[in-house]
Amino acid sequence: MTEQGETGDIITILLVEDDAPTCWRLQDALVKAGYEVRSAGTLGEARSALAAGAPRVLLTDLRLPDGHGIELIREMRQRFPDTEIMVISALGDEESVISAITVGATGYLLKDAFPTDIATTVRDLVAGHSPISASIARFIVRRTQGAAQNSAEPPPGPTLNTARLTPREIDILWGIAKGFSYAEIASHLGLSKQTVPGHIKNIYRKLEVHTRSEAVFEAVQQGLIKL
Amino acid sequence: MSEIAAKEPTAVAAKAPAKAAARPRRRLIASRLVPYLLLQALIVIATILGLRLLQPNDPDDFALSGFSLRQDGVTLPVTLPHFTASRYSLDDPPLYTGNFTFRRGEAATGWSVYLPRFSNAVEVAVDGVVVLDSRRDANANRPDRNTPQIAAIPASLLREGANEITVRLFVWGPLKGFLDTVYVGPDAALRPAYETRTLLFVTLPVVFSAWQSILAVILAIMWLMRRREPVYGVLATAMVLGVVQAYVPPPVPPAATSRLAAVLLASAPTESALVVMFGVLFFGWRWPRYGMLLFVPGLVVFVVGLIGGPPLPRILFLVIGIPTVGLCLLLMAWVTATAVVRRQDAASFTIGCAVTIVLVCWIQDMLTVIDIVNTDRIFVSRLSYSAMLVAIGAGLTWRFARALNQVDSFAGQLVTRVREAEERLKASFVREEERARAAALANERTRLMRDLHDGLGGQLVSIVALSERGHEGATITDAARAALKDLRLVIDSMDDIGGDLMLALGSWRERASAQLRPHDITLEWRVATVQGLPLHPELRPWHVIQIVRILDEAVTNAVKHAQARHITVTIETLDASEGPCGLISVTDDGRGFAPAGHGETGRTGQTGRGLRNMRNRAARCGAVLDLSSDASGTRVRLQLPQRFPDSDAATG
Repeated sequence: MTEQGETGDIITILLVEDDAPTCWRLQDALVKAGYEVRSAGTLGEARSALAAGAPRVLLTDLRLPDGHGIELIREMRQRFPDTEIMVISALGDEESVISAITVGATGYLLKDAFPTDIATTVRDLVAGHSPISASIARFIVRRTQGAAQNSAEPPPGPTLNTARLTPREIDILWGIAKGFSYAEIASHLGLSKQTVPGHIKNIYRKLEVHTRSEAVFEAVQQGLIKL
Repeated sequence: MSEIAAKEPTAVAAKAPAKAAARPRRRLIASRLVPYLLLQALIVIATILGLRLLQPNDPDDFALSGFSLRQDGVTLPVTLPHFTASRYSLDDPPLYTGNFTFRRGEAATGWSVYLPRFSNAVEVAVDGVVVLDSRRDANANRPDRNTPQIAAIPASLLREGANEITVRLFVWGPLKGFLDTVYVGPDAALRPAYETRTLLFVTLPVVFSAWQSILAVILAIMWLMRRREPVYGVLATAMVLGVVQAYVPPPVPPAATSRLAAVLLASAPTESALVVMFGVLFFGWRWPRYGMLLFVPGLVVFVVGLIGGPPLPRILFLVIGIPTVGLCLLLMAWVTATAVVRRQDAASFTIGCAVTIVLVCWIQDMLTVIDIVNTDRIFVSRLSYSAMLVAIGAGLTWRFARALNQVDSFAGQLVTRVREAEERLKASFVREEERARAAALANERTRLMRDLHDGLGGQLVSIVALSERGHEGATITDAARAALKDLRLVIDSMDDIGGDLMLALGSWRERASAQLRPHDITLEWRVATVQGLPLHPELRPWHVIQIVRILDEAVTNAVKHAQARHITVTIETLDASEGPCGLISVTDDGRGFAPAGHGETGRTGQTGRGLRNMRNRAARCGAVLDLSSDASGTRVRLQLPQRFPDSDAATG
C-alpha cells in the first residue's frame, strides 16, 4: 500500500527526529501508511539527505543536537517552496508550533498521536488541509484581540503578526478555539464544510514572515513604522 | 539663682539622684549666669558714664547764681541751684530776687530769661513785670519731665545798667522745690541750650510716646487675632497706659480735677506691674495667681486719688508707687536673668540689658530725689522706660514677622515632606506589589505542584511500577498517555482564557476525541448557543483543572466501566433566578452502574472512589454534580456556580 500525491508519484517524507524511539514510532506509522520515509537524527544529516532531492513533506522536531529545527524549516521554504512542512511537538504548545508557523510550517504533529492519526494528518496536509488545535487557534485569536486593544506591553510568547487575517478567518479561529467542529463552524458562518481546512492553511500562510523586507512591509501596513 | 536650683528638682521621691544631678546643674547655671552678670555690670557702668557725659551744657557766661530768698517772712541769700522744703500750700511761695546788668549798646538783639530746670512751677518777673508763668503750660510743671522754659524780656522793660529779676517758685509736695541756675542774656546765646534741652526732654518723649501708641495698636491687633497669646495684650495695655500718661496734661494745683491726677499717678506702678507680667508670659512661664498682688499699689493709689483730694495721692505715689516701680524692675531683672540661664537666646539677653539700663536710671532718679546725687534734678527713668518699651515692642513685631516667615517655610517644608511621604508610599507600594507578585507566584507554584502531584506524578509512578512488574504494552501505554494528557491539561490551564470556559473546553474536546477515536467511540458535542457558557471573569486555572478533570473522569467511566459507544457532551446556559448559569452534561449509552455502590462488587471500589473524587472537585469549584445511571446509560450533570469561589476552601 502506497500513498500517492496528485501526480501519482509516491509521497516522500523527510523525518528529522533525534529521539530514536519516537523516530521509529513515527516512521513505522508512516511507512505502514505507504509513504516513503527518510529519517535524519541531526540537522547535518537532514541537509545531506536534501542533497538527494526535495521531499514532498518535511517532518521535523525543533530541538536537535546540532541546531534548531526552525533553521531547517526556513531553508526548506526558500529552497523548496512546494514542500509541505510540519513540526513535530511533544505537547503541541503554542511556543513551538507558532514559531514554526511563522517561518513557514503549515501544520504540527503530536509525538504521541495514534498511528492512524499520524497518517491521516500527513495525508490531509498533502491534500492542502492544515491541522490546527484549539489551543493554537486560541493563541492566535487572543493575539488579534491584543493587537486591537493596542496594549503598550507586547504579550508573552513568540511575536505574531495577525494584521492580515480577515474577520471571517478570525471567526473560524474562534470556533476552533471553542471546540466546534469544522462542520459546525461552516454552518454557523454559512460556509461550505470543505472550505474550512483551506482557510486554516491560508491563516498559516498569512502568519508566515517570509523575508526581512516583507516584515518591514507589514510593519508599515500596521503603522508600526512611519516612512 | 540658687533658689531656682533648689526649686527645680520637684520630685521629692527622687532626692538622691536629684542631688547628684544638682552639681553639674549648678555648674551650668554658674557658667551661664556669671558672663551675663559681668555684661550687666558693664552696662551699668556704661549707663552711668553716659548719663554723666550727656548732661546738657548751659551758657555759663550769662548765669545768675546769687539770689536772695524770701520765705515764710525770712530773707536770706542763696546760691542757685537751690532746694526748698516741700510745701503743700500755694499761698506765699518762695520768692527769689536777683540782679543783672543790661548794656543796650552791646547787641541789638533782644534779651531773654532762661530757666533750664525748676519744680514745680515758676513765675518770673523783670523789674516787677511778669514775663513768664509756667503754670499756663501744664506739661512744664510735671516733675517727671525736665522741661526748660525761656521767655523774651520786652525791650521796653530793660533799663540800662542794673535790673531786678524775681522768681516765684510754686511747690506742691511731697517733692522738694528746686530752682536751677537762672540765665539772663541775649536770646541768641541762650536759645541753643534751651533747644537742646527741649529736644531731649520734651520732643524725644513725645516721639517715644508716638511710637509707643503705634506699637500699642499693632500689638493690640495681634492680641485680638491671637487671643491665646495674652503676652501681646499685656504689653499693649502697658503701652496704652504709658501713652495716656504722656499725653494727658496733668491738672495744675489748685485745680480740682484730682480724679484725673489719680489716674495718671496710678499709671506708673500699674505699667511696671504689666511689664513684669509681660516678662513672665513672654518667657513662657505661667503667671502666678499671687502675681496680681503687684497691681495692688497702683489700685491703692487710684482709689485713694478718687476719694481723697490732693496732695494725699501724690504722697501715696511717692511712698507706694515709686518703690513698686523699683520692685517691678528688680523682678523683671530676676525674670530675665532666669530666662538667660535657661534659654540663652537673643531675646532674653536683649530684654535683660534693657531692664538693667532702666533699673540704673531708676536708681539714679531715686538718689536724686533723696539728694544723694546732684544731677540738677534731671529725671531719666521715664525716658529710658519709654525707650525700653519701644525696643520691646519692635522686638515683638520682629518676632511676629519671623513667625510668619517660619509659617511660610513650614508650608514649604510641608510640601517637601508630603513629596517625600509620597515617594516613600510609592516605594512601599512597589515593594508591596513585588511582594504580592511573589506571593502570587508562590501560590501558583503550590497549585501547579499539587496539580502535577494529583495527576502526572501518580501516573508516572504507576508507569514505573508497571514496567518493573514486567507489564507489556497496553497498560503502560494507557498510563503514559494519561500522564501526557494530564501534562497538557496543566499547561493548558495556565493559559489566560479571559474567563471563557468554552476555550478550555475546546482543548478538552480535542484531547478527549483523540483519546476516544482508537476505541471507536464517538464524542458528540452539542452547544445550545454560540456563546455556549456565560463568562466568568473570576475563573482561575484551578477551577478549569477541576472541571476538566470531572469531565475526564466522566468520559473515562463511560469508556472503561459502562462500555459506552456514544458519548454526548451538552453545553447550555440556564436562566436561573439570580442570573444565567452554565450547565455541562456528559451522557453515555453504556450499561450504567448503581450509584449507591450496589451491583458488581468488583468495580464498586474504583468507581466509588472516582465518584467521590468528582463530587469533591465539584464542591471545590462551588459547582453541583448530579449523577444518574441506569441500564440505558449514565448522565453526569455539572451545574456551574453563578460565581466561582476565590479560595480553594475544600483543600484542607
